[in-house]
Amino acid sequence: MTATATPLIVSPEDERRPSPGARGRRRRATTAVWAIVMVLIAAIVLYPLIWMVLASFKPNEEFGSNQGFFPENPTIDNYLSVLDGVGGVPLSTFFLNSLLLAVGSVIGTVISSSMAAYAFARLEFRGRPLYFTLMIGTLLLPFHVLIIPQYVLFRNLGMIDTFLPILIGKFLATEAFFVFLMVQFIRNLPRELDEAARIDGAGHPRIFLSITLPLIKPALISSSIFAFIWSWNDFLAPLLYLNSPDKYPLPLALRIFNDQTGTSDYGATVAVSVLALLPVLLFFIVFQRFLVEGVATQGLKG
Amino acid sequence: MTASPAIRPDAVAAPDSARGPVARHRPTGPARKRRRGDTLAGYVFLSPWLIGFFALTAGPMLASLYLAFTDYNIFQEPEWIGLGNFERMMEDGRFWQSVQITLVYVLVGTPVKLAAALAVAMLLNFRSRGTGFFRSAFYAPSLIGASVSIAIVWRAMFSTNGPVDGALNIFGIDIGGWVGIPALVLPMMILLAVWQFGAPMVIFLAGLKQIPAELYEAASVDGAGPFRKFRSVTLPMLSPVIFFNLLLEMINAFQVFASAYIIGSGTGGPAGATNFYTVYLYTRAFTNNQLGYASAMAWVLLAAVGVIAFILFRTSRGWVHYTGDSR
Amino acid sequence: MFPRQRRSVIAGSALLLATALGLTGCSAGGSGGGGGGGEFDPEAPVTLNFTWWGNDDRADRYNRLIESFNEEYPNITINGTFTDFPSYWEKRQTEAAGGGLPDVWQFSDTYLRQYGESGLLADLGELEDQIDLSTFSEGLLATGQLEGQQLSLPTGYSAWAVFQNDDLLTQAGVEPYEGGTDYEEYSEWMASVTEASGGAVYGGTDYTQRIQNFELVLRQQGGNLFTEDGQLAFDEDDLREFWERGDADRNGVVAPQNRLEEVVPLSGFDSKFTASEMSWSNFLAAYSSTTAASHITMVPPPTTDPDAKDLYRQGGLQMAISADTEHPEAAALFLDYVVNSPEAGEIFGTSLGFPASTSKLEGATLEGVDAQVAEYLESVEDRLGDAPPVPVVGYGALEQTFWDLGKSIGLGAVSVDDAVTQFFDEASATLG
Repeated sequence: MTATATPLIVSPEDERRPSPGARGRRRRATTAVWAIVMVLIAAIVLYPLIWMVLASFKPNEEFGSNQGFFPENPTIDNYLSVLDGVGGVPLSTFFLNSLLLAVGSVIGTVISSSMAAYAFARLEFRGRPLYFTLMIGTLLLPFHVLIIPQYVLFRNLGMIDTFLPILIGKFLATEAFFVFLMVQFIRNLPRELDEAARIDGAGHPRIFLSITLPLIKPALISSSIFAFIWSWNDFLAPLLYLNSPDKYPLPLALRIFNDQTGTSDYGATVAVSVLALLPVLLFFIVFQRFLVEGVATQGLKG
Repeated sequence: MTASPAIRPDAVAAPDSARGPVARHRPTGPARKRRRGDTLAGYVFLSPWLIGFFALTAGPMLASLYLAFTDYNIFQEPEWIGLGNFERMMEDGRFWQSVQITLVYVLVGTPVKLAAALAVAMLLNFRSRGTGFFRSAFYAPSLIGASVSIAIVWRAMFSTNGPVDGALNIFGIDIGGWVGIPALVLPMMILLAVWQFGAPMVIFLAGLKQIPAELYEAASVDGAGPFRKFRSVTLPMLSPVIFFNLLLEMINAFQVFASAYIIGSGTGGPAGATNFYTVYLYTRAFTNNQLGYASAMAWVLLAAVGVIAFILFRTSRGWVHYTGDSR
Repeated sequence: MFPRQRRSVIAGSALLLATALGLTGCSAGGSGGGGGGGEFDPEAPVTLNFTWWGNDDRADRYNRLIESFNEEYPNITINGTFTDFPSYWEKRQTEAAGGGLPDVWQFSDTYLRQYGESGLLADLGELEDQIDLSTFSEGLLATGQLEGQQLSLPTGYSAWAVFQNDDLLTQAGVEPYEGGTDYEEYSEWMASVTEASGGAVYGGTDYTQRIQNFELVLRQQGGNLFTEDGQLAFDEDDLREFWERGDADRNGVVAPQNRLEEVVPLSGFDSKFTASEMSWSNFLAAYSSTTAASHITMVPPPTTDPDAKDLYRQGGLQMAISADTEHPEAAALFLDYVVNSPEAGEIFGTSLGFPASTSKLEGATLEGVDAQVAEYLESVEDRLGDAPPVPVVGYGALEQTFWDLGKSIGLGAVSVDDAVTQFFDEASATLG
């Protein structure tokens, strides 16, 4: 059957069975209603964001007095003051650091989490239930109480002021969110595929690489998206482990535009948020395409 | 979950899988038996996690468990006080206030957010073309990092004569700005969480993509309508993902911090309305330097959420269907 | 020594399993020599870590100062780092527990007891070869002293003041408040502004929300917020009376709190919602920027006793050296440069507070808002009294609690009596 080659649609009113007349009209009506609903939701969801973008063109003194949609005296000064960089370090350095950390996080997270997830979902070994419980347990403790012990640990490992404390955990699957997410997807795959491959003589590495991974592509894509974005927006780990401004990622460097003890530049603060948003939005726009691609076919052909 | 035999997920999934390159080897009798003794492979695949857990996570967790039984102000040696922190917690009015606020937030916010995420994901999945813009639009609010900008935007949305106030005025409801009314701050926080429904939406989308189209075709052949298909195909096939989102969103809601900290300017204000559990915990740890007390609070939360997670895992056996596990 | 022992306990438990897996070969403890044995060689190459909180503008100024310092001491490399204020203290507290405090750092008197009593700060009095203390007045030196040790030095100081937005007053057609009257007169003036503007602008922000105003009232009666031994120097009745004196103002004179909540993190004055507000004198630059007012008038706060020496030079922003530093002398040279050099005065002006040392003040060119602040400080000279006792441990948290409770009273979410009870509960939890 070749139908699966098209993107997998679960629409009840699927377009695959074309039929003239009443059916077509009803489908067009459905599509129109669908479009109206989508536009409405988008309008509500985007309104605060657009407000924020427009606010980034408000001069600083308008922030208290004008909470309206449009700036009264639009200015690009907010952007100019940010583009200068911070404390002698150019903005591009912060962008590059953020990018390096985010890409590293994606690679580390996807590799280590998918391996762990395969073990939890598909392999039978002693201690598995215990380890799984421990993994879920790591999700439950508020991270604030771990800050100091973790700092002590990395300091004793001599890793302060390097990217290692921030990245090493990603390569060791310490974020249970991703492991658990992939476990759920792997467990939902039909097991017959693995077993057939095993009869063919494939070992676990082969099954993992050529059957499991391709089949959980949507989960890998969403994990990559989250890993990238969360790393991009992460503030605490860089704050604790980095000292040199030329190693700062964007969120850390840009905090100082909003120093409450001195002259707070709210215009610059909002401009910074808009600037920081653009790369991740771009990243999402590029990667979300892969979210909708069919999976089963590709996986089986691969 | 009652599903007609024809569209039992595993029943359909088997022939589906047979179309691949491994189709010639359709597994039979003995091969279907789960193989035991994957110990070596198990530990190899799990090794990154094992190293990460024992080297990076377990130590700090144990340290915080120890600190929960001490009086530790960061500047002096921790002093063992047994259950002292837990006893103090029982009499701490702000602690109980934070418990109450957080419970309301979790119990109301999580279902609303998940329902919104699932509904929007299904709407997005309804068509294959022309949805890229909407996917990005719906996810965009979740991309904003935790910064003061969020506070500025959200306060403006809910201020007197702001967009929310204006919209409510159209319906003849005039309550003015929400921010200055402590009772309305929690609903405002819940709406902020719902607004950022992007993460569960993306996971739902990924889950929907994993459902083989054949299941719907088979259901159509059986004469199932859209509602039947949703109940007997979408829900069971999506149940592992629903379970994941439910559990994780619940855990996240219990630990909500960044948005509450920013909207409340780090103080739990106005009038204690954003005094969420972890905001209070943070205040104790880093504003008051009572890390022992904060650690005790953290482990109380771990125990409470752990019990809820355990119950969820238990009940999940009744409603979560794993294609790969079902026999 | 306290810090090191403590560190090893935490490190021990955190490293328990890491060590078991053989991941760590290096020694625990982490801190270096501490005290730096041997003779100090002023020519030897040294690298110092230096950190501050503040905005972009401050970072630029510090970079210029470091450059200027290096012209004099090319052998001392300064690694300057910065963050915003709340993160700054979170990171310092983590380092206080885990080791790794910077050699020289921007400091706040609010934390003097915590860091000082724990032996984390070097005694600057022992580094007199490098640091000149003679340029500071006794009162300003006292803001960094604890138990006879000089643990930090102020970079500048402020005094409490009433700020008024002249543009808003002109619109309302009301003359500026003259300053230094009794509180009733200030309230009447605020009411006249609110009335004249028809409620578009309010006369002021509820001053009973700020602990600094409470402190002034206590000092006008000869008291203080704290005792020398780090306890509260007021009781429930004092606080109740103070908060109750705002009752009449809250009834339509000062800006309603529910509207002010909508503009947080800005204040009523920032958002041109109120025509007057009391704060530290060094806020003039910030207020000028957020309000863009053509002129802001500064006058002395109201008082119950015109002869009382209730105001004081607040040396909030300080500089300190960690006790653990391996290069105390080099660190002291740099610290001296920051607080004492005319170059620092030239580069920073009054942006780290009004220059506290005479030598730094000499270098500063006072123009515009700086000149106005200088003028104000001179005008209140007669009202400036002794520095209050060093703040109690956790003063920052108490100050915030006070403010929050004041706002809650304004929102009608809590009664004055309950607020008083909550404040003292919180204080006893903080003070132990």
